[in-house]
Amino acid sequence: MAYIIPVVFITVFGFAAFRKVKIYDEFSAGVSDAVKFTFSLIPCLAAIFMMCELFEISGLSDALTKLLSPFFSFLGVPPELTRLILIKPFSGSGSLAYLTEVINEYGADSYIARCACVCFGSSETVFYISAVYFAGLKTKKLAAPIAIVLFATLVSTVVACLLCRIM
Amino acid sequence: MNIIFTVVVALSGLIITFTAPDKLLPALLDGAENSAKTALTLFCIYAVWMGLSRLAEKSGLSKGAAKALKPLSKKLFRTENEAACENLAMNLSCNVIGIGGAATPYAVKAVSELEKDGNRYAQKLLFVINATSIQIIPTTVITLRASAGSIAAADIFLPSLICTAISTIAAVTLYILGHKLWRI
Repeated sequence: MAYIIPVVFITVFGFAAFRKVKIYDEFSAGVSDAVKFTFSLIPCLAAIFMMCELFEISGLSDALTKLLSPFFSFLGVPPELTRLILIKPFSGSGSLAYLTEVINEYGADSYIARCACVCFGSSETVFYISAVYFAGLKTKKLAAPIAIVLFATLVSTVVACLLCRIM
Repeated sequence: MNIIFTVVVALSGLIITFTAPDKLLPALLDGAENSAKTALTLFCIYAVWMGLSRLAEKSGLSKGAAKALKPLSKKLFRTENEAACENLAMNLSCNVIGIGGAATPYAVKAVSELEKDGNRYAQKLLFVINATSIQIIPTTVITLRASAGSIAAADIFLPSLICTAISTIAAVTLYILGHKLWRI
């Protein structure tokens, strides 16, 4: 696994050199695109992170966790994971921090931690992606696709907790 | 997003006003600080991958990837747009080999290319595929477990693969079905 990234790098550099691409010039041009791209992300990043912080501080996230835990346990999802499942669609770094906490608290090979890892690894930051992908567009109408994605993620979460019991 | 943002911010703001009014401003500033830190981290990832992807583009490598995936993009995304195909192909390849950081810029470019043709269907489909995660090797999680002293850090590989497949297939099927029935 560790070889994938070096191989990708060497292949691309080697092929570009073979095709006589001005490697330094083009690489820096790519980085300059990265600068513009990062700047274009900052407005929606700032808004989303402020919202997440308010959500956390106000106690709304705790309340929602308590409210949804019974529903999740009904589906076979351990209540310890409710918080992770709620944070993941909004923030990758926030949910990663919580995942680390779960692993440290319950042990890396415990059922809870394995469930958490599978849920984390097989889901994405849905709201963040929707904000970034469609930032520059006027008409959005993303409610239905977002609902579909969240539903599919919930299904895979339930399956994840089931699979971790038997695998 | 507008509705979610308004509801969450208004509701949280109201609760904080009653419970701890002095915490509102620090919370907002913390959020802004986090966004700045994240932007810096993201810039580092994008600088590496967008530099490399520019080389792939200029040397014709990404054209090759686009050609290989052309039947798929034609059928699934219903697009003939060359530039869009190229970005779609690179987005999917990056996702599959587990460099999600490199995938985002391609997706954004593909979405803006598809916008020129007014191809909303392909834009949303691309979002659905990316938002359900199509990562084959969950590298972050395996590294995290290994560093926490797991005896078999990679044993979550198979369950993760199954769950990723289930969520992506379910979401894509639902979306295509919904699009056919109600033009969502």
